Amino acid sequence: MAVSSRRLQKELMDIKKEGTPVGIELLKADDFSKWILSVEVLGDTVYKGEKFALMFRFDNQYPISAPAVQFVVDDKWSAPEHPICASILGSEWSPVLSVVSVCVTIQSMLASCKVCPCLTAHTRAALLTGRGFSSA
Amino acid sequence: MRPLMVPDPHCASCNGTFVERIENPADDPREFQHVDGAQWDDGALPAGMDAFFAGLQSILRGANPPPPPSVTASSSSTARPRSPEARRSSSDGIRPSTSSDQSFTGRNGPFTIRIERSNTPSGRMRTFVLGGPPVAPFTTGSGGEVPRLSQFTPRNPDGTQQDRPNITGPMLAQYLLALMGPGRAGDPFTDLLGGMFGPAGMPPGAESGRWGDYVFNQEALDQIISQIMENSNAHQPVPATEEIIEKLPREVLEEGSPLLEKDCAVCKDQFQLQTEDPDDHIIITLPCHHPFHQNCILPWLKNSGTCPVCRYQLVPQPASHAPGSQQRPGDSNNSSGSQTSDSSSSNNNNGGSGGGGGLLQNLVHFFANHGQQGSNNNADSGASSTGSSSTEQAPTTSSSASGPGRNQPSSGSAGSPNRSSQRNDDHLDVPGGWGEELD
Repeated sequence: MAVSSRRLQKELMDIKKEGTPVGIELLKADDFSKWILSVEVLGDTVYKGEKFALMFRFDNQYPISAPAVQFVVDDKWSAPEHPICASILGSEWSPVLSVVSVCVTIQSMLASCKVCPCLTAHTRAALLTGRGFSSA
Repeated sequence: MRPLMVPDPHCASCNGTFVERIENPADDPREFQHVDGAQWDDGALPAGMDAFFAGLQSILRGANPPPPPSVTASSSSTARPRSPEARRSSSDGIRPSTSSDQSFTGRNGPFTIRIERSNTPSGRMRTFVLGGPPVAPFTTGSGGEVPRLSQFTPRNPDGTQQDRPNITGPMLAQYLLALMGPGRAGDPFTDLLGGMFGPAGMPPGAESGRWGDYVFNQEALDQIISQIMENSNAHQPVPATEEIIEKLPREVLEEGSPLLEKDCAVCKDQFQLQTEDPDDHIIITLPCHHPFHQNCILPWLKNSGTCPVCRYQLVPQPASHAPGSQQRPGDSNNSSGSQTSDSSSSNNNNGGSGGGGGLLQNLVHFFANHGQQGSNNNADSGASSTGSSSTEQAPTTSSSASGPGRNQPSSGSAGSPNRSSQRNDDHLDVPGGWGEELD
């Protein structure tokens, strides 16, 4: 089994065994190329009460290479291509990080940021009008 | 960079002021408007205009080798091809709204350039029409298939067109963008621009809606923005050299090894002996005492010479969050106001890829400044907009493609100092900086 699949399987097992941190849910992990998780921003922030869906895409270099992470809008998982511009997904990526830890980071970014610049006009409009992502 | 505010706003870099005092009354920029108007009334195009249209026409004709534009240019000043008399006879007609078309190309050509003049009760106006038959999105106007520039001119509340021709830079840019909009691949105008700058100046990806700094669809805009951000991100990790990797201590797992209680942080597996692959028994311990499977850590070290756990540097890495990184979000991710200049500077770094953009910019300047022949057309936004009229908003074309992100270069002292606060106020959607970057 490829290194990336083995690693992702381990992460998946950990999620199923130990659960995810508060506000983070695994929505879809049918294979080892694309996962979708939802992130709910906790605390009193501009995104209070909203739930965002994050799509993770992995290549077979994962975890050496960072996953491509972006917000997705509706349950068709379709959204404009707007990769998130967090440094940990670029030059600051480390294989120690995981899907869950990236979610926690983005959760914390959303909580600490007045307006998330990752959410460009299109995405944000869609997210805000739809009031985020309605998960199962 | 913050402007110094005492006593007047000063640029912290050049120490110049933002407000220009006009000492010579003859330089009053408002006078240019009058000159402009006079030229319109006279009916004479600025001298360069003839050459410009002739050149454009000749290119548009494509197949037939046209006469060199210089011929027309030289003749335009002496024997104008369109005499004012002939023009008056047609344009000073009784019905004010009738327009006289002046075709520069034959109608059989794929492209027409028309200059329309018409009289309104309050004054004359003239409309430039550049267009070709297959224009999809603008079929509702009076011009039929060809998008008319008049559709883009501001209108009075009652729907009539404004008295004066007021061709601003962004407006012209929008018009050109409409002409070249998506789904019109292969049309003459695209071919024109593509052909003009084909092998020499075109950046790769010109076919995908991008010419230099100018973009024609959302995708290309995103591309440019990510390029800007990558360029500014001079923090790419430095891989460890082969020599360093060779010298790392390796250890083969055996019974009783203390390593067996530890995990490899890359694959998250515990070190264990009962694996099929003997390579999994080879453990590399970095100088920071963090152990990894050799198979796990080597690909990473060839990517970045750091410890995945503690970021210990096996080779010196570029300063990532060094002092001054607070400035980075603002600088690199650019507030809305600085987007254009950022992209153009990154373009300059690429060297000569701005051909397409340069043409558009020149076009825009040509129209915006047509009343000011002799002043430098290539002035950049900072120079040309200082204290001058409202028609000079030329260099915002690339951001005008993004709609709400459009901005106007500050034309005086007010704009620049407020730039950062402006970003917070209007919540524009160009990626701005995180207030603080998180690890």
